[in-house]
Amino acid sequence: MEKKSGLFRTAVYVFLGLFAIINIFPIFWMIVNSFKTEQEYSGNPFSFPKSLQFSNYSKAWEVANMNTYFVNSIIITFASLIVTVLLGALAAYFLSRFQFKLRGFTYGLFLLGMLVPIHATLIPIFMIMKQLHLLDTHLSLILPYTAFHLSLTIFILEGFMRGFPKDLEESGVMDGAGVFRIFWSIILPITRPALATVIILNFIYNWNEFLFALVLISSSALKTLPLGLANFVGIETASLTLQMAALTIALVPILIFYLLLQKQLVNGMTAGSVKG
Amino acid sequence: MHTLKGTKYAIFFGLLPALIIYLGIAVVPIGMSAYYSFFNWDGIRPLSYVGLENFTEIFKDSIFWLSVKNNAYILLSGLLGQIPVGLLLALILNRKMKGAGFFRTIGFLPVVISSVMVSLIWSTVYNTEYGLLNSILGAVGLDSWQQNWLGDTAWSMLSISVAYIWQNCGFFMVIFLAALQNIPNEVNEAAELDGASGLRKVMRITIPMIRGTILVAVVFSISNSFRVFDLIQIMTGGGPAHATEVMTVYMYSNAFVNMRFGYGSAVSVLILLFSLIVVSVVNRLGKEKEA
Repeated sequence: MEKKSGLFRTAVYVFLGLFAIINIFPIFWMIVNSFKTEQEYSGNPFSFPKSLQFSNYSKAWEVANMNTYFVNSIIITFASLIVTVLLGALAAYFLSRFQFKLRGFTYGLFLLGMLVPIHATLIPIFMIMKQLHLLDTHLSLILPYTAFHLSLTIFILEGFMRGFPKDLEESGVMDGAGVFRIFWSIILPITRPALATVIILNFIYNWNEFLFALVLISSSALKTLPLGLANFVGIETASLTLQMAALTIALVPILIFYLLLQKQLVNGMTAGSVKG
Repeated sequence: MHTLKGTKYAIFFGLLPALIIYLGIAVVPIGMSAYYSFFNWDGIRPLSYVGLENFTEIFKDSIFWLSVKNNAYILLSGLLGQIPVGLLLALILNRKMKGAGFFRTIGFLPVVISSVMVSLIWSTVYNTEYGLLNSILGAVGLDSWQQNWLGDTAWSMLSISVAYIWQNCGFFMVIFLAALQNIPNEVNEAAELDGASGLRKVMRITIPMIRGTILVAVVFSISNSFRVFDLIQIMTGGGPAHATEVMTVYMYSNAFVNMRFGYGSAVSVLILLFSLIVVSVVNRLGKEKEA
């Protein structure tokens, strides 16, 4: 028995080790090669660089317009995140703490959004943005990002707020606070753990989004990081090390973000999926 | 809960902004897509009504059926790749063991990276001349196994599926881990008292206990497979010779490259329809088995 479990443990670690290598190695290989000269890379793609070519990074930053893309991504990501979380929290508050005729219907309507594939809405959204003269503006992305993430946001926040004891608002009512005041000063502060989850999820989705950006943004001054990168790699096919440097630049922030917040993030992913 | 007096207006104005944005941009467009699908339209000139012509054309379009086949390929690779590997990882990492946290962190990493990054990273892996995969094969003397992974019609779908599985295993791992952690300890203890252990316990106790979650994961995996776009658009654009065409990519190129908005809308209506049908069939099968 003892022997068998020792063998079993070894097999498990071999499997996990292999899995970890497959997950990490392409990324690691890319980072290592981003520090090489072009000749060094084509000569031996597995060697470590003889000297670190930081110039790849400064050049990639320059040639790939990384500056612009980062700024656009930050603006759009945070603007949609703030709007989604504020409006979503407000809607979740009314849906969870009040009883009214269309409550169930409205909640169901919002949940439906989690099933809709965005591709079925792409052409109409393009047309709507065109008619509103919003094509190729930050707003043309902020609106869809908000609309499509309200569902999950409301789903998570409503579930959390519903769990609070019923007499929570009483002291506020005694002090003469209105419903919005109660929302802001009593409900929101104790919703903080769920808010953190929702903020992280929204950040990741908005930061990574590609399809809407591809369709709705055309001028390179307004491109987001994923769109800009995809474009850059499509054009700059000559230098692979330069491509890898640009990819590494884009990878580092999300890597840091993930390592700092992974616990909260993983909890959030599961909160949304398992209950349903 | 509050009594309603005086709060009626507050409820109305509290829900209104979210509802307007949500309905206007996520719900109404679905109806618009259905409407556009009956027209011949380049997005500029006035719409001209053609009835079901777009749909009859689609059904005769061999490229469309190729894209349906490839969607089925992606769907199966999700079901046969992502879910078993995710489940296996979760079963292993749910036990107390050294390094469990480390492996979970690494397992979930690809989920966080944008699919654009995943596509670009895998494009460099598959690069014919200098890519990681061919370099490894060359280094171990298997030169004859080297391929044009994305450019050869025989290999391109397989290459894309590998990247697709790589990207999403971690997602299912986390879902299953959460479900496993919800199994009460008494169940495991009782099983062990009865002498069940190892594989027997997993098959007889653990997996039946998380049946519901497995069903949810299957539905997730299926609806994700209909949404695959970024990965293929960036790695191959649907090529070579439409060998990796999927419905979303086909819809995109019809609407936004060939400016056939009516035809593209009809394709997008079919995407919605197919995915609803498959998901509801799976849901029904799952429920029936439970009963």
